Amino acid sequence: MVKLNLFDIQGFVARGYTFPRASYLLAEILNYKAGREFVGRVTERVTSAERWDNKPSSTLNIGFTWKGLYKLGLRDATMLSFPDEFYQGMRARNRVLGDVGKNDPANWEPVWTEDIHVWLAIYAQDASELARRCEEIGRLMQETGGARLLYTQQAGAICIDGKATSKEHFGYTDGFGNPDYEGVERKTVPGQGKLTPDGRWAPLATGEFILGYPDEARELPVCPVPYILGINGTYMAYRKLHQNVASFRKYLDDKGNRYPGGKEKLAAKFVGRWMDGTPLESSPDHNDLGLAGDPSRSTDFTYGHDADGGRCPIGSHIRRANPRDAFGFNGDLVNRRRIMRRGLPYGEYTPPDQPARDEDEHGIVFMALGASLFRQFEFVQQQWIEYGNDARLGNDKDLLVGCHNDADDRFVVQGSTDPGNTPFICGGLPNFVEMRGGEYFFLPSLTALRLIADGTVDPR
Amino acid sequence: MANQNGNMYGLTILSPIIDDPKIKISHDAALRMYLQNMHRHERSPFAKVSGTHICRLVVMDDVVFVGHPAKEEHLASKYLVFNSNLYGGLDAYLEEMARKMPEVVDDIWSHCIGYPGTDPQAFAAYMKKCQIETTFYFADVNYKTVEQTLTALQTKVEFALFIERQQGKSPAELQRAFAAFWARVEKLPPPLAGLKELAKNQAAGV
Repeated sequence: MVKLNLFDIQGFVARGYTFPRASYLLAEILNYKAGREFVGRVTERVTSAERWDNKPSSTLNIGFTWKGLYKLGLRDATMLSFPDEFYQGMRARNRVLGDVGKNDPANWEPVWTEDIHVWLAIYAQDASELARRCEEIGRLMQETGGARLLYTQQAGAICIDGKATSKEHFGYTDGFGNPDYEGVERKTVPGQGKLTPDGRWAPLATGEFILGYPDEARELPVCPVPYILGINGTYMAYRKLHQNVASFRKYLDDKGNRYPGGKEKLAAKFVGRWMDGTPLESSPDHNDLGLAGDPSRSTDFTYGHDADGGRCPIGSHIRRANPRDAFGFNGDLVNRRRIMRRGLPYGEYTPPDQPARDEDEHGIVFMALGASLFRQFEFVQQQWIEYGNDARLGNDKDLLVGCHNDADDRFVVQGSTDPGNTPFICGGLPNFVEMRGGEYFFLPSLTALRLIADGTVDPR
Repeated sequence: MANQNGNMYGLTILSPIIDDPKIKISHDAALRMYLQNMHRHERSPFAKVSGTHICRLVVMDDVVFVGHPAKEEHLASKYLVFNSNLYGGLDAYLEEMARKMPEVVDDIWSHCIGYPGTDPQAFAAYMKKCQIETTFYFADVNYKTVEQTLTALQTKVEFALFIERQQGKSPAELQRAFAAFWARVEKLPPPLAGLKELAKNQAAGV
């Protein structure tokens, strides 16, 4: 049994924080010496995965782009040992990721053309604590002269009636579960790890998510040299995704009026969950708040008995992103394609009874973590979100987050003979979600952060 | 059965490439350049050879030594590998190649030892002499003819558009619309073989 060194792993890697607010800071390292001093000063403040007796009022975590690590003086032998996709960065991977047309990097926000070296994440209980921590980072940049702030992305849970929720701007409850993996101190939640041959759920191998441990192939994931730089670290894909709320609402109204099951059911068919989070697979005819709110049941389902997609459409968002057992072989084909998700909405929520505009600030900061960006995040994005062949859906893309540049893109609700669940085809898809920019980051362990700060990362 | 699976024929041919140290550009280099510049998709010469589901031409220089405990071995010559998953009989297919794309056949196989020219029977006999057994097929090929496959794909695309436009109508309206749809779609000519984007070729639809 793997025992994780929780003092060495960054807290953000090991768990999703449940703070209502966050700031994501993008910065440039100005020079090798002062830059290392800046990293050292930040490292003293980085939140580890150590268990909390009392929840802190804020957290701080850090990640680096390939260019950032290079700027911090890591040797060529180390830099050349990183995976290709991390070296290339998200912009250069746009054709793999389907970031083309409207989502082409040429249309991203200007900050993504700058020298982004560092990503800093601050999560906090309230706005004043968040501001205090951001000022603290600003002070460290000034005092050391090692880094320059390029951009601050504010994000926060959508508040409804004064309460923080886990809704996103289209109205869906988001963020149900993350893959269970070995070494984490928590009970296995049904539906969140991998399927065993007898149909139960077990945690995935640690090496799928954290470097330095065996993965599902019983191999060590590819690790940069020296090994100590990689162990207890992981990679992250960061994507700022704008949401066209007006387009979504209009489309759902329009098609929902024609869909025999009605608007709410159609919305559920898009995602595979009812708006309140009830999985369609478990409850295909109506939402069930009790089921949605029960962690032991809200992710506990499989698709094997629903091969035709009559309950949960084959192309629905959650079935694409994590097909579970849908491709047969007891789910073995998905175990190496899992991602840990972190994310928070940004922008002001527009309640359904208020008019929304596409250009209003609505979106989500989506972050996917894993031991291999290429094998996990990029594969899911390229093959399962932006393409349909594995699911026998031809060129169809994910309705919600797919990049629909083609007038022939469509989403098929498979349905059944039940008159309230007839098959339905949704064509004329606008882009509901647009890419605003993103990058790949490496999130080192605390030990590795100290080595980087000391300039003692020695590949020999 | 090797080579044949239902109506599908799995063809693998290894033709030895001429080794002539006296010429300026070696045959394998010239062949590789030619293959790199061949048209693809609907402009591929193989689009004219009606039985071709998928085919591939590769210049094989040698076998690769993968390290101990494998034995280091080498081929006696360089080979042109020709793979094809085709519908129907082998002789008819090879003869059709010689008839429908004689210039291309000449351009390619004239770099190979013993090539007899484009007389259909002679070419088929020559190719069969170089044939090796095939037991694996391209997974996506079914047991239909190329034309049947292309027509089915076209019908699927058209039918999906039909549903999208007509769904929700009364049975009587639907039946009328379907009759009109089918009267049009049934008469559509099959799409061009090799066409990359079938959907782009669609008419406005009913």
